[in-house]
Amino acid sequence: MFEKSLYDLIRGLRNHKGSEREYISESIKECRKEIRSNDMDLKSTALMKLTYLEMFGHDMSWASFNVLEVMSSPKYRHKRTGYLAAVQSFRRDTEVLMLAENQLKKDISSPTPTVISLPLGAIPHVINPSMANSVLSDLLPRLTHSHAAIRKKTVVTLYRLALVYPETLRPAWPKIKERLQDDNEDPSVTAAIVNVVCELGWRRPQDFLPLAPRLFDLLVEGGNNWMAIKLIKLFATLTPLEPRLIKKLLPPLTKIIRETSAMSLLYECINGIIQGGILEAVEGTTEGEEVAKLCVGKLRGMMVIEGDANLKYVALLAFDKIVRSHPFFVSQQQDVILECIDDPDISIRMRALDLVVGMVNSDNLTAIVGRLMRQLRNAPVVSPADDPMIDRARMTEVVPYAGSDESDAEESLRPHEQRSDQPPPLPEDYRVNVIRRILDMCSRDTYSNISDFEWYIDVLIQLVRVSPATKAATTMEEEDDSEQPDDVGRAIGRELRNVTVRVRSVRSEAVDAAQSLVLVDKRDQMFPASGNGGQGVLEYAGWLVGEYASYLTKPEPVMTSLLHSSSLQLPSRTLAVYLQAFPKVFASIASNDQISWTPERKTLMSLLMSRIIYFLEPLSTHPNLEVQERAVEYLELMRLAAEAASGTETGAEHGEFTDPPLLLTQAIPALFSGAELNPVAPGAQRKVPVPDDLDLDTPINPNLQTLLSQAELEGFETDEDDVYAAYTEPIASYTGPPTTTSAAERLDVPHKEPASYQNATEEEYLDPDILARRKAERRERYKDDPFYIDPEADKGSGAVTPLGRIVREGNVEVDIDSIPIMDLDLENRAHPSSSEDLSRTRSPRRAPRRVEIIGDETLGPEEPSSSSREDIISPRLHSQTRPKKSLLEVDSSGLGSLSLDDDETSGRKLTKLDIERREQEEAEMKKALAEVERLRLEMQRASERLEAKGEAVVKKKKKKVRKAEMEGELEGNADANTAPAIVEGEAAPAKKKKKKKAKPEGAGAEEGEKADGEPEGAVKKKKKKRRTVVMDEGVPVAEE
Amino acid sequence: MINAVLVFNNAGQPRLTKFYTQLETSVQQRLISEIFTLVSNRPNSACNFLPLPPLLANSSKSSTPTTPHNDTPSLVTYRHYATLYFIIISTSTESPLALLDLIQVFVQALDGLFENVCELDLIFNFETLHATLGELIVGGVVVETQLDKVIEGVKAQGTVAKRPVNEGKSGMSFGGFGRGDGVWAGR
Repeated sequence: MFEKSLYDLIRGLRNHKGSEREYISESIKECRKEIRSNDMDLKSTALMKLTYLEMFGHDMSWASFNVLEVMSSPKYRHKRTGYLAAVQSFRRDTEVLMLAENQLKKDISSPTPTVISLPLGAIPHVINPSMANSVLSDLLPRLTHSHAAIRKKTVVTLYRLALVYPETLRPAWPKIKERLQDDNEDPSVTAAIVNVVCELGWRRPQDFLPLAPRLFDLLVEGGNNWMAIKLIKLFATLTPLEPRLIKKLLPPLTKIIRETSAMSLLYECINGIIQGGILEAVEGTTEGEEVAKLCVGKLRGMMVIEGDANLKYVALLAFDKIVRSHPFFVSQQQDVILECIDDPDISIRMRALDLVVGMVNSDNLTAIVGRLMRQLRNAPVVSPADDPMIDRARMTEVVPYAGSDESDAEESLRPHEQRSDQPPPLPEDYRVNVIRRILDMCSRDTYSNISDFEWYIDVLIQLVRVSPATKAATTMEEEDDSEQPDDVGRAIGRELRNVTVRVRSVRSEAVDAAQSLVLVDKRDQMFPASGNGGQGVLEYAGWLVGEYASYLTKPEPVMTSLLHSSSLQLPSRTLAVYLQAFPKVFASIASNDQISWTPERKTLMSLLMSRIIYFLEPLSTHPNLEVQERAVEYLELMRLAAEAASGTETGAEHGEFTDPPLLLTQAIPALFSGAELNPVAPGAQRKVPVPDDLDLDTPINPNLQTLLSQAELEGFETDEDDVYAAYTEPIASYTGPPTTTSAAERLDVPHKEPASYQNATEEEYLDPDILARRKAERRERYKDDPFYIDPEADKGSGAVTPLGRIVREGNVEVDIDSIPIMDLDLENRAHPSSSEDLSRTRSPRRAPRRVEIIGDETLGPEEPSSSSREDIISPRLHSQTRPKKSLLEVDSSGLGSLSLDDDETSGRKLTKLDIERREQEEAEMKKALAEVERLRLEMQRASERLEAKGEAVVKKKKKKVRKAEMEGELEGNADANTAPAIVEGEAAPAKKKKKKKAKPEGAGAEEGEKADGEPEGAVKKKKKKRRTVVMDEGVPVAEE
Repeated sequence: MINAVLVFNNAGQPRLTKFYTQLETSVQQRLISEIFTLVSNRPNSACNFLPLPPLLANSSKSSTPTTPHNDTPSLVTYRHYATLYFIIISTSTESPLALLDLIQVFVQALDGLFENVCELDLIFNFETLHATLGELIVGGVVVETQLDKVIEGVKAQGTVAKRPVNEGKSGMSFGGFGRGDGVWAGR
């Protein structure tokens, strides 16, 4: 068998198109064999191949020990391969990590710069807290290495050390600072330090204020744009702490903005001015105005520059940061920003969307919402083929075989890349995002931006039609507990309910909307044609038609829809709401006591009630408790009512009034009428005083336990299993009858781009039927408005106002007196000069209609801290918002508590966090020690086996050496461990300080001249002796 | 800081993966494919910043407005050269436009090392590819941005192998940083 090089492997992969899987597993098998070989060349080649395959997702964690072997090879070429493999494959749980420590320490101390670079690059990837302390002493001298390349890498490596073990920064920081202050330092090193300081800076800006003069000089000197960017970013975090910096910074920053040729630097200057709060600080001065104008002007320039989407994107980012503090600046740029909402690039759209939400006001709300709605309506719905989820599934199948030839990848180019004439299908999360933002914008500050609530209701209805399908979670159990917080249908429903309850003047319109949503025969018209999008709105629409049943225009069809068989398949939440709704509707139908109890009425009522009973009966065994309980309740009520109805004699045929049964006219309606429901402030419930006579301790039924156990015994004997099964089996959610439009018809729906970019007209975002209704309403409303020009009244003769028509039709006598005359009351107009007033009063149509919006009801004064509501339980929300560490996140929070001020150290107390961390480290150390011991034994056994085999002497020696090394390692770890372990027991701060001083030295075992405890010194000597064994082998190790 | 550097080709096959945190191999692969899905659907005229892939998006919402920065990766920057996508994932302490320039420096350095670099060079010399990145970025922090110093640093580690002779000379050139001719990719 011959050995493959990496080159052979790659070529082989390319030649085994279609059978990569077999080829790869074959290759890995070979590598497993080769990596065990004693030939270091073969070993390292095999490792290289494994590292290459790891890139495609082939696990190589099993080879971690071999990685270590190759790392320890004296040859640089092998070492490099080993280190690369370690970086790429070592994970947090890699067992041999402890063993790598010695190797790292050794290579850091190597005389060859290229060798030093290897551990410097690898340490950030593999470091853990216990190792950090130990390699620190080897790293620190490297800060003064003669090669700039080593110095700059060391700085960064020290930073990563501090991330896992913040205490290491204490000895390192003075030395890093020294490098930074050195004017003769290589500019590359200075730049690297600035980079590190920038990373450290935002955690503890106060520690870096003393450096400000030096940093300022570096900024003014200029030369390196990269460094300048970082410096500006750093200053932006410093200025809030030191306002005097602002005055100093402003001249150089404006100078850079005016002069630099680098767009990135220009942008970061503006960004720094924004983020550092410089705009606020200089506000009001002429200088400040100038700066603001300059920044906003440049940002605008970035927005409008032709063909550079990147600048557009970053400018939006910058605007986003000032929109809260300076909404005025941003709204000046409204035109260019709004343009971005329709940008073909989804990244830019998202940014623009964020921004637009911040700059909305009552004047532009309609236009902005219109634009967004048009987008939702006109973009094609994502088809399953485009669904990124499916795409992803495909990709994970494909990727591991990378290395296969590219030609087949080209053949399988996905089809959607060819469709470019259509607007791109909007990803679902984007759709959801847009809908949420629209609701957000409209409902802000209890609808302060909305003047036309009818428009808003229409928008809501239209939103239901464009909402994306919710993730298919339709099994009963899941719906019961998963609240599906991302269901936009419910969010829309909440809005509809809110408007109905809060705005009395549009209540009938809103109930009308709810009614049309509930009606089954309208369902395919009101909801998206495919998928179950928007179904969540039914929960709220159902509540509305019940609560405001008296507003219903067609109560009977609503009743029919509520009782429709498809309702049974609704999610149980919605079903429970429906169950509550139909008795209310029924009450409004049946309660009229002015109409005589005629035989027809009796029959009708009986029929209706028997239908209700028929609907309810199966639900009384529904698995959802809420549904079950309500069903049982109303079932009994309806049976009672049906009895009463059949028992009441009808009146005589000829017009004699007979009273309908009281149960129908009085009792049932009384259940639901009473006080009107008003919005209640979130904290109000808590303020209700507890009545003195409320006794919560006395059991309601002392025999509850026995009753329950009895029920348990009896209850489940009956044959309920198949009933239960019928409900628990997943049912396909109701999606309405299949659409009947032919494919061809669907194809030629014209999606025209808007004619005007200034204002989206309603035609572009509302569906025709909604528009027709709007028009009719409008006509009705302005029927008596003499100034209203009806666009459709008489198209031939040009638009005329009613007044004009009267004048034109000369034959009619104009009754001048009938024209109302307004008194010109000039005195009362006190401030006619206010331009805003004028513009508002000028056009009568724009005059905002007084809409009364009911606020939240509460008891007593409003509490400012309504966010901490104890009465509202939201367990699901908690699990959602629990701060989770992001996937790639490097946690630097440990640095937050580390002060670099030396004076503070002595007085510092152990925080709880510290103690916890210590304990954790200790545990880790213990585990690691056990691990080392285990490995050592393993090695020992292995070497014994080798000896037994009587292998060549050289090999035996090698093994022995490794064993020796291992033992040295063990010792090293042991004494590294003793130090913290001792300190752990002592709580006195004075001793702690001592430990802190001792630690770095203690870790500097090489020096060996420490006059600490005797036994420790002995261990060190022993360790040193062991080391020399290694040196005998001819490994170039530099002992200091 | 920089959280990850990725290079993959037009078919989503990785050419370089470097994560500056320790991450399960399977998660790495998922992240790569998520980013590839995002990036491959973008037209050439689109900007070079990606929305966060689902794997990263969940936790990014927790950013508090009080601090301008945090540890959460929030920026995915990419550049497309001929057959390859270069991706950098970073936190907010990096400048988006500067990252684009950094990718450019990376590619120019590779071009300087390989003379008319093409995807094939990177496939067969992926150790050199890693070495080049190692001169630019250490542990997620940029250590060098000057082209000549990067090249010098890589060359100091040993000779850079040219692409194998029999793999064809008609490499897809990054030289002009334009769209290549696609000769070898079709083979």
